[in-house]
Amino acid sequence: MKDNHLDNAEQNHQYGCPVCLTLNDMSHPRCRTCHRHLHLINSNSIQHTIALLMTSIILYIPANFYPIMYTNWLGSQTASTIMGGVISLWEPGTYPIAIVIFVASVLVPIGKIIALSWLCLSVTIRKSDSRRINVELYRITELIGRWSMVDVFAVAILAAVVQMGQIMSVYPGIAALAFAGMVITTMLAAMTFDPRLMWANQPHHFDKEN
Amino acid sequence: MKDTYDYGQEEADSTLACHECDLLVSLPELKYGESASCPRCNHLLTRRFMGAHNKILALSISAFIFLIFALPFPFLSFTSQDKEYVISFADNIINMALMDFFSIAILIFFTTLLIPAICLLALIYVLISLQSKRLFPYTHQLLQLVFILVDWNMAEIFLVAILVSFIKISSLATVVLGLSFWSYAFFIICLVSSLALLDRYQIWRKVKLHER
Repeated sequence: MKDNHLDNAEQNHQYGCPVCLTLNDMSHPRCRTCHRHLHLINSNSIQHTIALLMTSIILYIPANFYPIMYTNWLGSQTASTIMGGVISLWEPGTYPIAIVIFVASVLVPIGKIIALSWLCLSVTIRKSDSRRINVELYRITELIGRWSMVDVFAVAILAAVVQMGQIMSVYPGIAALAFAGMVITTMLAAMTFDPRLMWANQPHHFDKEN
Repeated sequence: MKDTYDYGQEEADSTLACHECDLLVSLPELKYGESASCPRCNHLLTRRFMGAHNKILALSISAFIFLIFALPFPFLSFTSQDKEYVISFADNIINMALMDFFSIAILIFFTTLLIPAICLLALIYVLISLQSKRLFPYTHQLLQLVFILVDWNMAEIFLVAILVSFIKISSLATVVLGLSFWSYAFFIICLVSSLALLDRYQIWRKVKLHER
């Protein structure tokens, strides 16, 4: 691949529009193709990410300790948390579903919060030797973030479908709300995190020539 | 396709900043089936497919038709103690709102129904506009809207959630997947393959070339 410019766009006073990828001069406030309002890279992106991350950590606590679902079964009510739901799926032997729910609602959120905190930290202290892993980490975080919503949706569907009065009925719990809020804030945190910060003010080296 | 007198502009447009690492990359003219990645961070910059925009248009229209068909028919139905319970897509959202979980009802409505529908309609509009002689009004704004909203599309996650709850209920009663479910599943297939073909750089380039 031919590569004439070995610099970052920022150092050339240019800005790539995030929506249409058109290269704009920094002197223009709006993109010349799609007229989107442009802003520079370092405009408090990290602070926004950290603020959203903290919100998601706070929301993650009630999401795990409060029940996500109430089940009325022949008059007796049982409440189940997220982990309780995973265990109740594991015991009768539906392992694939238990694994899906465990990965989507326990592993992915925790992993995402840790990954984003690590990315914010490594950008702040300008640690560049683990950059290649960080790039992969960022891509995975952005890709899988939405999938945590599976549990909230499943509870919503169950609550809507299983309404048999006294025999059996399912109601959503407050944790569903907290969990949905947590997923949305981590998604927003991943979106506000600017991956270009990982490469800012770094000289360009080709590790491998393709 | 390429105007010779406007070569300077063309040259400028083939240079772009990598969306992930901000490296300035000058793209060579891609052949069909080729893709370009950033030499520094390996981020996929653009892919060019044969007739991609026609395929996206066809898939988006069929996805939208499947989405409409997913609405009125039963989604899941099951029998328990001689009573049959049927639920449609709208019941799902309405039940959620009735249980004082208005925010979750709104979340489901937006992420699995409204946002995919808006994205599809806007894509259809933009692509038809690209095939006409002149661009229709608001083409830019709508294409911009597609790229902003597409991150919030969670329709395929809803499909997985349906399957999860299907398995949960099937241990209690015999569940039958209704017509709406199959329609929704085909909607997801069309939507996902349409979005997979959509390429920021290529479609905006076509819009830019069309403007001249």
